Amino acid sequence: MSMEIGRDDGRTANQLRPLACSRNILNRAHGSASWSQGDTKVLAAVYGPKAGTKKNENPEKACIEVIWKPKTGQLGKPEKEYEVILKRTLKSICLLNINPNTTTSIIIQVVSDDGALLPCAINAACAALVDAAIPLKHLAVAICCCLTESGYVILDPTKVEEQKMKAFAYLVFPNSAISIIPEGSSHMEGELMEHGIITSVTHGVMSVDDYLHCLERGQAASTKMSAFLRRSLQSQAPNDSSRAG
Amino acid sequence: MEDNKPASFIDQLVVPGDVVLDLSKMGNQTIKLGGGLHQDCDAITVTKAGRLRFSKPNKYWVESSQKRYVPCVEDTVLGIVVDSKADNFLVDIKGPAMAFLPVLAFEGGTRRNIPKFEAGTLLYVRVVKANTGMNPELSCTDAHLTCPVLEALGKKLSFEIAVGLNGRVWVNASSPSTVILVANAIMNSESLSVVQQKIMVDKLLQRIQ
Repeated sequence: MSMEIGRDDGRTANQLRPLACSRNILNRAHGSASWSQGDTKVLAAVYGPKAGTKKNENPEKACIEVIWKPKTGQLGKPEKEYEVILKRTLKSICLLNINPNTTTSIIIQVVSDDGALLPCAINAACAALVDAAIPLKHLAVAICCCLTESGYVILDPTKVEEQKMKAFAYLVFPNSAISIIPEGSSHMEGELMEHGIITSVTHGVMSVDDYLHCLERGQAASTKMSAFLRRSLQSQAPNDSSRAG
Repeated sequence: MEDNKPASFIDQLVVPGDVVLDLSKMGNQTIKLGGGLHQDCDAITVTKAGRLRFSKPNKYWVESSQKRYVPCVEDTVLGIVVDSKADNFLVDIKGPAMAFLPVLAFEGGTRRNIPKFEAGTLLYVRVVKANTGMNPELSCTDAHLTCPVLEALGKKLSFEIAVGLNGRVWVNASSPSTVILVANAIMNSESLSVVQQKIMVDKLLQRIQ
């Protein structure tokens, strides 16, 4: 297998930073969540669905709006791009036919940025949508995979690591779902991506093989993150100590 | 190794994306889907995180707590008047869309005695229509609810109450301390069992005697 590369914080190439997720942390928002990966932390708030859609949006479907709030300063080009990527990603996991002619707003507040900021924001936004009980097709699990100068793929980089990368990819996968329908009926021979991918954003130059390698590592990590997300969402389920007769 | 699937996911915690029912394996029975479930051909998938529930004979739903209200026919709710038009009052019921209350939907209502509600008026109403893509329609009505917390409070205190299924409650009494006590009792009782609720109400009532 590949050599172990030494990362500054002692992690292996495939190791994620500690994950933490809290829901229902803002009183007035209809749904809220904070998500942190190591020292990168993002807060997401969801308001809606509220009546009416924005200009140029299809009133026959629900509309999603994303507002990005950087830790300091104004919105620059990277932040505006994050808003677009977030909007497209979240739109694809929402069931837009259920509440037509409504707008659901997601506000992203950066608390601290130590690398992999956009994937962290996507994870926070997804948890906040669940907290607001917005109807979703499935969940989204986001991860950053990068390619070092020496050709290794590492996951969930810190800011220092990000700055030294040759290329990176933000990948968003659907969560691993439990199903009453047996796995065998939908699995294709030799197909790694049986569950597909929601979003892929790449920066820098990488070969096709490197990209496929990123997809494979990212998919494997997303399975672990999916299990974490499931446990996290279930630990705050309504208390059922009062059972109805 | 593969066949460890539970026979069903009923009473288990589920998240969006989980497939909980397979209609092709359920014969020709009709089933009713409540909140949090969505049909995609033969697969019934979860759309909200919560606990999957089943009630005989054929109703499935996902139980979850949320801050926004999903309008449902026959629910009684507390709405706040936002505007009045020629034929309808526009009422905010904490749902995705504004609700309409026809000006004639009152006991003995005629064109000559249309009530004058200003913006901000609180109304206790029943949901009459709740179709996807349309504004919900309301009607003015009475309702009686039994609840252990309210019954225990009612034995010692005198107060008026209107409970909305959309998360709003209106309480009135002659003294502010009674209103506060009733409100606190209701808010405290959210996650308690019936026995725990009775103990909690007794403790609160002891404090004022």
